Amino acid sequence: MSRRDEILLACEKVVAMPTCVRKAGALLDGPETDLARLSRIIEHDPGLTANLLKVVNASDLASDRPVLTAREALDVLRSPEVLRFFISTGVAPYYVHVIAGYDQAPSQFLQHSTTVAIASRELAAALKLDAPGHVYTAGLLSGIGKLLLGAYVQVDLRQILHMVFDEGMAFDRAEDRMLGINHAELGGIVLERWGLPDALTRVVCHHLRPDEYEGRDVVLDLVHVGNVLAKMIGVGLGADGLNYEVSPSVVERLGVTSAILDRVSAEVVVELQSLWDLFLECSDDFCNL
Amino acid sequence: MNNTHVVGISDMKLSTNPGDVIVTYSLGSCLGVTVYDPKARIGGMVHCLLPTAAAAKEKARANPFMFVNTGVAMTVRRLVDLGADKNRLVFKAAGGANMRKDRIFDTGVRNFNALMKLLERNGRLLTAKDVGGTIPRTLFLYLDTGRVVVRSLGKESDL
Repeated sequence: MSRRDEILLACEKVVAMPTCVRKAGALLDGPETDLARLSRIIEHDPGLTANLLKVVNASDLASDRPVLTAREALDVLRSPEVLRFFISTGVAPYYVHVIAGYDQAPSQFLQHSTTVAIASRELAAALKLDAPGHVYTAGLLSGIGKLLLGAYVQVDLRQILHMVFDEGMAFDRAEDRMLGINHAELGGIVLERWGLPDALTRVVCHHLRPDEYEGRDVVLDLVHVGNVLAKMIGVGLGADGLNYEVSPSVVERLGVTSAILDRVSAEVVVELQSLWDLFLECSDDFCNL
Repeated sequence: MNNTHVVGISDMKLSTNPGDVIVTYSLGSCLGVTVYDPKARIGGMVHCLLPTAAAAKEKARANPFMFVNTGVAMTVRRLVDLGADKNRLVFKAAGGANMRKDRIFDTGVRNFNALMKLLERNGRLLTAKDVGGTIPRTLFLYLDTGRVVVRSLGKESDL
C-alpha cells in the first residue's frame, strides 16, 4: 500500500476534527449559554466549524441548499437546545495536541487559521469585491489538513525540510513527494467525504496551488492570497514557515499590489487584537492531555 | 523580580532590569529589532509589520510600532528617556523573510531596507542580522549582557 493510500485509509476513520478541550467544553456549558457566545467560539475555530458544517449538512435541517458558514449553520439550528444536541453528537469530542510535524501549538494553528480567514475577507473588502459570505469559512478551513497529516509529516520532517531547503521545493510539493499527498489536498478530500459543499472543499484542496484548479473561483483566489498574507504577517507560523509559492496569475487577476497588501496587513493585525481571548483559551496549558 | 516580556506584532517592549528577557515569536516578513545600551544595561525590542507609515497613516498615529521607520525611532526615543545614551546603542535585527520566490510583494526585503535607510540617515550601524529566506524566527534579547539569540526550526544561534 502506498503512503498516500495508507494516509487516506487512516483518515477515513476520522469522524471529527480535533479542537481545544476548553473551548469545546464551553459549548456544552449550562443552559444559560447564549448563542452569541457559542457562535463566537465556533466561527473562529477551524475544527469546530468543520464539525458543525458536517453535522448540519448531513441533517434534514439543511436540505434545501448547502450550508457554507458557521453562522448559517447556527441559524439553521436556531435554539441553544437544538445546538447543544448537535454538538453532543460529534461537534466537539476531541482534544488536540501540538500539531505534530508542523511544530505548531494548538493556539498557533488556531491563530494562523483565523488570520487566513480574516485576511481573505479583508482583502475582498480592500479590492471592493462582492465576495460570497463563505470566504471567511473557506479561509478558516484551508489548513485543516495539517491536523490530519501532521503525524505523517513528523516522521519524515527531516527529509521534507531537506527537499525544501536543499532542493528548493515548496513545502506542499515536498509533502507530495514524500507522502504522496499534501495537507491541502488531504483536507479537501476529508471535508468532501464529510459532505461539506464543493464551494468550500475545492478552496481547501487548491488554496496552495490555485493554478491547478481548472475553473475560476474568486473565493479560491482570495484565500490563496489570504494564506500568503497570513504567513507573511507570521501569526502562528509552523516549521513549514513561508515555504509556499505565490501564484502570479492570481495576483494579477485580483489586481493585488504590495500597497494593497500592506494596507490589508495593518487591518488584519488590528482585528486580531480583539480575538486574543479566544486564542488564550486554547493555550498549551489547557490542551495537553 | 526577573520577567520575560513578550512583544506582539506591531508592539514594543523595553526594560531597565538586567535580569529580564524580551522575546518575540513567529517573525515572518515582519522585522524584529533589538536596541541595547551595554553600559546602562537597558534595552528594547520592536516587532514591525510594515516598512513605512505611508502604507496606513492613520494606523501609524494609533500605533507607531507597526512600522519600521516610526517604530525603531520611537523605541530609541523611549530608551533615551529612560537613561540610555543614543551613541552607545547597539542595533540588531532578525526576520524579514519572504514567501518562496516572491518578487511581487517583497515585504521582508522592504522592511529590512527601511531599517537600513533609517540607520544610515542617522549615521548608525547595524551590528548583526539574521534576515531574509523563508524561515520563521523567534528573537530573544537578554538584558544582562545584551545577548541576542535567534531560534528557528528548533536551532538557536547568537546574533
